Amino acid sequence: MGLGGVALAWMLQQDRLLGAPPAKPTDIVFQDLRQRTPASAPRAKAMISLFMHGGPSHMDLLDPKPELTKRSGEEYRGSIDYSFTNRASKKLFGSPWKFRKQGECGTEVSELLPHLSGVIDDVCVIRSMHTGNNGHEPNIRYFQGGIPGQPGRPTLGSWMVYGLGSETQELPAYVALSDPGGLPVEGTGNWSSGFLPPLFQGTVLRAQEPRIVNLDPPPHLKGDLQRQNLALLDQLNRRHLTLHPHEADLEARIANYELAARMQSAAKEALDLSQETTATHKLYGLDQEHTREYGSRCLIARRLVERGVRFVQLFLHFQPWDHHSMLRTDLPRMCRATDQPSAALVADLKARGLLDSTVVHWGGEIGRLPVCEGNLDENAGRDHNGQGFSIWLAGGGFRGGMTFGQTDEFGHRAVENIVTPNDYQATLLHQFGIDHQKLVYHHAGRDHSLTDGRAARVLSELI
Amino acid sequence: MKIHLMPLALLMQLCVGALALAEVARAPASVNFETDVRPILRTYCLDCHGAQEQVEGGLDLRLRRLIVQGGDSGSAIVPGDSDSSLILELVRSGEMPPSEKKVPPDQIEVLSAWIAAGAPTLRDEPATIGKGLPITEEERAYWAFQPPRRPAIPSFGSEDRVRTPIDAMLLGRMRNQHLAFSPDADKLTLLRRVAFDLTGLPPSDEEIERFTGDTSPDAYEKLLDRLLASPHYGERWARHWLDVAGYSDSDGDIGDSLRSYAYKYRDYVIKAFNEDKPFDQFVIEQLAGDELAAAPLDQSSKPVGASLSPEQLEKLIATGFLRTAVDGTANSDNPELARNNVIADTIKIVSSSLLGLTVGCAQCHDHRYDPISQADYYGLRAVFEPAFDWQQGWRTPAERLVSLSSAADREKGAAIDVEANKIAEERAAKLTEYITTELEKVLVGFPEALRNELRQAYRTAAELRTPEQAALLESHPSVMINAGNLYLYNPDAIKDLGKFDERMGALRATKPPEEFISALFEVPERRPPTHLFHRGDYREPKEAIGPADLTIAAPEGERYVALEDDPSVPTTGRRLAYARHLMNGQHPLVARVLMNRVWLNHFGRGLVDTPGDFGSLGLRPTHPELLDLLAIEFAEQGWSLKRMHKWIMTSTAYRQSSNADPRMQEIDAANSTYWRMPLRRLDAESIRDRMLSTNGLLDATLYGPPVSIEEDATGQVVVSGGVGRRSIYLQVRRSKPVTFLTTFDAPVMEVNCDRRISSTGSPQSLMLMNSDFVLKQAEAFAQRVLKEVPPSASLPAVAQAGASTVAWGPQLAHAWKLAYQRPITTEELSFGSQFLQQQIASQDSAQENPEQAALINLCQQLLASNEFLHVD
Repeated sequence: MGLGGVALAWMLQQDRLLGAPPAKPTDIVFQDLRQRTPASAPRAKAMISLFMHGGPSHMDLLDPKPELTKRSGEEYRGSIDYSFTNRASKKLFGSPWKFRKQGECGTEVSELLPHLSGVIDDVCVIRSMHTGNNGHEPNIRYFQGGIPGQPGRPTLGSWMVYGLGSETQELPAYVALSDPGGLPVEGTGNWSSGFLPPLFQGTVLRAQEPRIVNLDPPPHLKGDLQRQNLALLDQLNRRHLTLHPHEADLEARIANYELAARMQSAAKEALDLSQETTATHKLYGLDQEHTREYGSRCLIARRLVERGVRFVQLFLHFQPWDHHSMLRTDLPRMCRATDQPSAALVADLKARGLLDSTVVHWGGEIGRLPVCEGNLDENAGRDHNGQGFSIWLAGGGFRGGMTFGQTDEFGHRAVENIVTPNDYQATLLHQFGIDHQKLVYHHAGRDHSLTDGRAARVLSELI
Repeated sequence: MKIHLMPLALLMQLCVGALALAEVARAPASVNFETDVRPILRTYCLDCHGAQEQVEGGLDLRLRRLIVQGGDSGSAIVPGDSDSSLILELVRSGEMPPSEKKVPPDQIEVLSAWIAAGAPTLRDEPATIGKGLPITEEERAYWAFQPPRRPAIPSFGSEDRVRTPIDAMLLGRMRNQHLAFSPDADKLTLLRRVAFDLTGLPPSDEEIERFTGDTSPDAYEKLLDRLLASPHYGERWARHWLDVAGYSDSDGDIGDSLRSYAYKYRDYVIKAFNEDKPFDQFVIEQLAGDELAAAPLDQSSKPVGASLSPEQLEKLIATGFLRTAVDGTANSDNPELARNNVIADTIKIVSSSLLGLTVGCAQCHDHRYDPISQADYYGLRAVFEPAFDWQQGWRTPAERLVSLSSAADREKGAAIDVEANKIAEERAAKLTEYITTELEKVLVGFPEALRNELRQAYRTAAELRTPEQAALLESHPSVMINAGNLYLYNPDAIKDLGKFDERMGALRATKPPEEFISALFEVPERRPPTHLFHRGDYREPKEAIGPADLTIAAPEGERYVALEDDPSVPTTGRRLAYARHLMNGQHPLVARVLMNRVWLNHFGRGLVDTPGDFGSLGLRPTHPELLDLLAIEFAEQGWSLKRMHKWIMTSTAYRQSSNADPRMQEIDAANSTYWRMPLRRLDAESIRDRMLSTNGLLDATLYGPPVSIEEDATGQVVVSGGVGRRSIYLQVRRSKPVTFLTTFDAPVMEVNCDRRISSTGSPQSLMLMNSDFVLKQAEAFAQRVLKEVPPSASLPAVAQAGASTVAWGPQLAHAWKLAYQRPITTEELSFGSQFLQQQIASQDSAQENPEQAALINLCQQLLASNEFLHVD
């Protein structure tokens, strides 16, 4: 090789080092909501999550503990982490309610949930949830964002619409159905897109007008005036575009205004419950005072999923399952408001052939302690418990009529087949054809995922 | 044909006959160990088979001969026979690597081809190898680790419109593709571009007149000087830096507590930009302001705020840069972990902002793609360790506040506290009285015999009660009245007690106001060790590591190592020395990284379009020589950013039109050669500020505490304080980002923001069409138009011809000028006028002022239009 060759090789090397395309592990970044094909064949296409803020008492609802009932009033001998030490007690508090085997599967369910009992053969109860800490916020963040305690991360719904896009462009891909009473604990963080583009954050669908913030013009601008406004805007934009042809961003925004206008009628139609039959109204409890509100939202959730919305989550005001006291009266009240609508959703989706492709999730961020908080009297309550609690899943390829995992004899700690929120997330994404480790977004110098490299297992036993 | 590339020195070596001595096949084969195989092993295997002193299964994969030598299971490869090679078998079956991340099939094929070709290397392997992963020649040769070199500037003729060396550097590449600069943009377009770029605001009326009327040859240069001297320049360019610094007004802990004094750092940054503080000084102050200030310390080792000179104060405030990370250390279940997280995030911010490298992964293991070892990472950490002192000297966010009050003021405050405590005692007495009264009321409900017993039990301190007494109380819970549940018994009592609280509050409010700054300050004589943490776990400290820069950031054998403890300063001096090293003008990364960001903010795209990652996972520079030129000039011209702005902005590249020539569009649609100025969407802050400026409500006050925000009834985060203040002053709360801003891609600070995205989506459209905020802006805009050009008024003399002959012409012309800073066209006059007349006729009969209502709607469409949202 002569010197000429040396120089050539040197120059070529510079070219390669300077100009080579990067071998980036993550070169795909989604910036739109077009529907995307997941890496593997999905079982589920949509999800409705009924988030039960505050921590429903599992040993009174889904996790029967005869030993606890038997020894109610006795001293608990194990160690307990309390949140409210001032009212802490070690007195075991047996469930005031009875459990019975339900359905063909025989899963035991509390008498507080008669409607769930009716669909229990389609429901997979996880009795061994475990977060390891007791606070509300850290665990809401754990369930929604993947890391306990860390605020500001993208939520499960954001990751789903980031990874899969949406089947409909006329409705938001990710809808948060908020409670008429107000925001849940952790507020807008429950549907934040965190560091993902804001396109992937949840759109809040409110119980009162405006149902979707900014969707409709104020009443005095509706109709002709709005049409004229949009026509003028289009005129302005098209004139501007003639001066800047070939600008994709400008064209995209023009198209987007048209889409936004179409969304107004699409959303109105989706929210119009008068299109549903009396039987359906009755099924969801719209004919009764105590179930009307939650029932309406469950029905809206079904209508949204029917129309191609990817992810719907229902929220409650503040954290109404946080029964530190008055468990005997307040827990039945919460059940009365939510049991029938939740079960109706499962039954209705099934009747319409949508349950196979739609995951329904019911659960809070923690459970409650087997000991009483305050005195063991009619006002007794239960303190927080992140060591063991229950949630349920239905549809979307989850096996119905099964229970998974166990807590100890008192319901304090998950002891068998322990499931963390990260396992739950990995399994959900798997049902949508997504590998939780592969759906990543490059941000602040590294690839981020929902489970963020934390230990997480796809729970193949459930699917 | 694939060509093999190797450093010059090695080629020379090969040429003089080293080839003949080699025992294995070498270039030119199609696959080589150094260039093709080792990167794969590095990514998937070397963590366990080479990086650690103890290799798994006795197998070391760092060198070809060690691979052949093999481990406990025998030789890993049989050169020439890939099917018999153990490594392929294990990789193919997925048994290796054991983690979930497997070697992709195409890379397995590379391994296979290499073995089949006899496992060639490019050159002789070293006879000995130290521990860990050495930096290879290929890694050393990577572009970003070479010192910047001043490029030769190609010369062009006058017809080529090369105004600056920047143009010459760009034109060279353009020529290869038969491209040329677009014509210069017209004056008004250029003025708008420059105004938004430098100040984030539209040009003022006066500026429009002044510049468009200035026919002198240096009119443009004078314009740049005026805008660079505007205090709004600092606001605009501080925002770019605050993104990279990860600035936030909250801690990001469980309650996302407010960081009430962080804004002083934000103001420091704005001032530094406005004063054109030399950037080396700016960086040094942010990394080591406390070491420069050398402030006197009180007995708790805190700077004595009241004794500080303004210069010392400024330098202390500058360390706010090292206090931007999410910090949950005040209320964490696991404070040690939380503290280490803060340090790790701070290192991420420092490295991505100044080094343009992602060092974070080297916290747990050697970087898999860039030559950054775990020991390197901890060397960097050791620079910052003494200031954070996580085991013995950690300060929570509240503890890092430095009071600026004088001793006299603090004494006065203490005296007022004594008075307030007296009221607290009165309150306590009153509370007892209320409880006693309520207790007696409850007792009346029980049999007389029981009353005394219950009263006795209640009055006995809980821990002294007999079991009988305790049981008695437990079975009579209503007796257990306390301060917490008194409201259930007597709501009025609570109101009455509240009056004591009000009095206390009022009295405490008379305390001399206490001002604070939030700072980082290293304590003299403290020298906590830095240990390499096994797998990044602080509970597994390994060997001690001294302060140093990354090995790769200097030529071989010249790694920068800081003194453990500099005797010339009271603190260790590590950060000060490191900061000076970074800014000495010789560092391969810093000036490139900084100038790349400046370029990014002028042109919307970096020369390296991954501004926080210059490493091998990032993108390569499109114009490496230009980047070098900018970096060298920056350092040589005294680190003056304003000088660099002017240099860049006087180039033809910057001054050219954004209109796309169809022929050139065909050749380079992505505009990667800069044959035209890109059209850009304004960022979130500029859109909001432009709206405020258009409707005349912009409050141009500089600096100060953050403007408060709140969640409205619909869950949107809106501005609740000074609604006219510029967006940079709005409170940045991690858990409550302002909805309007995030909708237009303002970052939500988790760590920091390398680069913003610019998205287009329906939330933006809906926000502009229907949001309360935009409707209010439109209303204010229309009112301004009607106030400044009342319907009865005749047209101002400057307005163009035609406007006076059309219905509403004068108002339309004014609205266009306010919104777009340009005259209205005849076509627009015509459709604008038609729109207004049609709208006035269509308004509801109940509408009291149909003309104004129509004009509001017109104004809103202007605010929502593409021309308003983009700058060309």
